[in-house]
Amino acid sequence: MGCRDIFETISACVDGEASPEEAARVREHLASCERCRVLERQMHAVGAGVRQVRGSVPDRFREAVFARLDAEGALPKRKKVFPTAWRWMAVPLAAAAALGFFLLTSRDAVRGPDSPGPATSRIETSAPPDPSPQGNAVALSTEDREMLALLDILEDPADLDANDDAEGMELLAPGDSADSPNRPRGGRSGA
Amino acid sequence: MPTDEELMLLFREGSREAFEELFSRHHRAVVRFAWRMTGDPFAAEEAAQEIFLRIARAAPAYRPTAKFTTWMYTVARRATLNYLRDTKEGGEKVPILSEGEAEDGVYPVQLPGPDDRNPEQVVWEAQLAQRFRTALGELPEGHRAAFVLNRGDGLSYEEVAQVLGVTVQAVKTRIFRAREMLLSRLSKDVSA
Repeated sequence: MGCRDIFETISACVDGEASPEEAARVREHLASCERCRVLERQMHAVGAGVRQVRGSVPDRFREAVFARLDAEGALPKRKKVFPTAWRWMAVPLAAAAALGFFLLTSRDAVRGPDSPGPATSRIETSAPPDPSPQGNAVALSTEDREMLALLDILEDPADLDANDDAEGMELLAPGDSADSPNRPRGGRSGA
Repeated sequence: MPTDEELMLLFREGSREAFEELFSRHHRAVVRFAWRMTGDPFAAEEAAQEIFLRIARAAPAYRPTAKFTTWMYTVARRATLNYLRDTKEGGEKVPILSEGEAEDGVYPVQLPGPDDRNPEQVVWEAQLAQRFRTALGELPEGHRAAFVLNRGDGLSYEEVAQVLGVTVQAVKTRIFRAREMLLSRLSKDVSA
């Protein structure tokens, strides 16, 4: 069995998706193949590299999304705190509250505990959104950085297949299916 | 704390707050996925808005037969795929960035937050992100989606298969092919 036959299994191992038997086969192969050990590290590296492509949440994204959803009628209306039938009581209630506060403060009465805030939503919310405009940016680990640096010294991936009995790395042309039995084979093509 | 599936059911019953909580939990992941798939900040924002609109509209028919995030990424992938198809100029794969645009830095690379790392390392990581973004854009959409969902968003092969509507073996092959193509593309950047 040439190295080429185990490349895809090495890839699955890197992702933690290989069966125990496949993982054992990969470990056995890597123990004796430096070239595939390098390839395995490079496979790790490209995964770490993709995670660096994060983008960021645009400013006022939340406002834009909810404005659009409301405009298209995709969301329930926000519930009114005071139903229409109760609104006529707002002014006298406010006046009574102001009078009571005045009386309490003028007598230097002992204040009770703070009045309760707005009724809490029955939906438990998650932690406040990350204020960082960069989102959850995470620095590369030392191991990831070393593996990604390995990519920079890679001169020609064809060297990986130089001593392999099987054909060189296959690259799919745009539009080819990975599962197509008639996918093109042969040397590297310009990407 | 309610699960995502419970929140979706509450939203289906008319709770706006439930949707707001779902948005808070997942909007960054949605934007990040759209960015990785489209490579364009403006397209990513538009696609992300479309994704949440589709999630909201799909609520009446939502059934918790799978993880909410699996369903969410299915919606997200279709939205980005439709966006790419709408903007393609020919062929199955949509070019994201031309070489010139990538090198001119027309679309700013998002740097990590301030910290006490070596500035040279910060610049190196930013350049790396730029190169990966370009290389990702040259992958066929199905391969890019499989790789981004697994390596970028942490979905298992099984979950990726559900999102893409393919077999687990197909996911395994696509992810391996994506790695091959990325390694080839990145090595060309070095030797160019």
